[in-house]
Amino acid sequence: MKSKRIVLTDVHLYYSSFAYKERSLKTLLAHLVRARPGPTVKDIHALKGITLEVGAGERVCLLGHNGAGKSSFLKMVAGLYPIARGTRTVHGTVRSLFDLSLGFEPEATGRENILYRGLLLGLTPAFMRRIENEIVECADIGEFIDYPIKIYSAGMQVRLAFAISTAVGGDVLLLDEVIGAGDVNFMAKARRRILELVDQSEVMILATHDLASARSMCQRGLVLQHGCLVFDGPVGDAIDAYQHMAGVAA
Amino acid sequence: MTAYLSGIWDARYFWSHLCLSDLRARFRRSYLGASWSILQPLGMTLLISLVLSRMFHISLAEYAPYILSGLVLWEFVIGTATIGALAFVQADAYIKQCHHPLAIYTLRTTLANLIVFAMGSISLVIWVLATSPHYFGWSWLAALLIFPIGVMIAWPLATTLAYVAARFRDLPHALGLLFQALWFVSPVYFEAKIFRAGGLHALVDYNPIYHLLEIVRAPLLRGAWPTAQNFAYCLGMIAVLLLLAWLVGRKAEKKVIFYL
Repeated sequence: MKSKRIVLTDVHLYYSSFAYKERSLKTLLAHLVRARPGPTVKDIHALKGITLEVGAGERVCLLGHNGAGKSSFLKMVAGLYPIARGTRTVHGTVRSLFDLSLGFEPEATGRENILYRGLLLGLTPAFMRRIENEIVECADIGEFIDYPIKIYSAGMQVRLAFAISTAVGGDVLLLDEVIGAGDVNFMAKARRRILELVDQSEVMILATHDLASARSMCQRGLVLQHGCLVFDGPVGDAIDAYQHMAGVAA
Repeated sequence: MTAYLSGIWDARYFWSHLCLSDLRARFRRSYLGASWSILQPLGMTLLISLVLSRMFHISLAEYAPYILSGLVLWEFVIGTATIGALAFVQADAYIKQCHHPLAIYTLRTTLANLIVFAMGSISLVIWVLATSPHYFGWSWLAALLIFPIGVMIAWPLATTLAYVAARFRDLPHALGLLFQALWFVSPVYFEAKIFRAGGLHALVDYNPIYHLLEIVRAPLLRGAWPTAQNFAYCLGMIAVLLLLAWLVGRKAEKKVIFYL
């Protein structure tokens, strides 16, 4: 079972429109008064029949224009979103780096947040105490580490979030546009850390618009368009297909 | 189901820390800190019992523990339900990043309130020991059962409400009204005999809130054991609420993320 890490067959994902529909007494009354109905909001069919396998040792990049379903794909693989049809099998621990600044406790100090974030990821307090210093060193925000998060600048929050999230790897690593975090100094360090994580992982899926890093980090490329998997092959060909699709000469 | 429960157990470090951080946040930068959870119900009790003991011609020393026991337990169950109803909405950042059983977020609220409830109970015990020490006895052991019973009532209640409130945001507003109504028809502050005197026996005898309160009140205020009927009502309420949480959660657990 070790060879196949991710197996997806005919996966469909819908976002329920219920969450975005205006449902209030105000809109109800407006509907009664107005003869012409407003725009209708339907369920979003975010992933349409995705079938693929990813084996151990594969480095996969995910290409596609905004809204093509890249993030939905990653979150589905991570098990956050329930699929409507099809089957999803993922072996091994999943470590995902999505929206890094989410989930800080603003009143707690940086150090406390390191602990909370680690516990959120399912790690033990003892383990977090062991790696705390390493994270503090990586975030490199000086004495602010003992101040509440709410006084941090946006950049400092990103650095801390990045340092925590990249401290522990997993078998399946899912990255969503995380390489552009922080200032120039931090960028170089961030890139190094990401690459270390990638080395530790068995499978890596990277959603990105940065074609250069896609080319250097991955061997296999997937192209998504309107929720469909339109290309699956070597990364060079995938980039060509994506650029061709976007109407840009390769 | 066992997988769900073991998921809750696996995340124990996470929710126990969230719970403690809630408590720290509640008392952060306050001079009296955690002692507020003892002082606040005590002050409230004095205020209410000063008025009501005159109105109903009962001695203050006798009536105050009745109010206090009603107050702390009601605050625990209803406070957990109202705050817990928003637990998923507030934990959206966690829910969108990591896959944990959702019930850990209502458990966090339940346990934080349980600790405040336990602190509030201390003043009740001290009051009763000071004014009516003759009630002290083995039956007080039964009163300790209020903690597990309270958790098993408040947690599934809050979880069910949280599932519903994630989708229907009117619920938290409606809850305030609903609980006020429940409070009004239950012997929380008003003595059971007042209801009986008004011919409203049903509001006492068939009211699970009355039976829940009796778990504490029988031992502490009368030195008696709670009756089997009291326990039966509590267990029945736990069974109903657990079943409800399971039924709602079976469908809603996975969909909550879409509504955040």
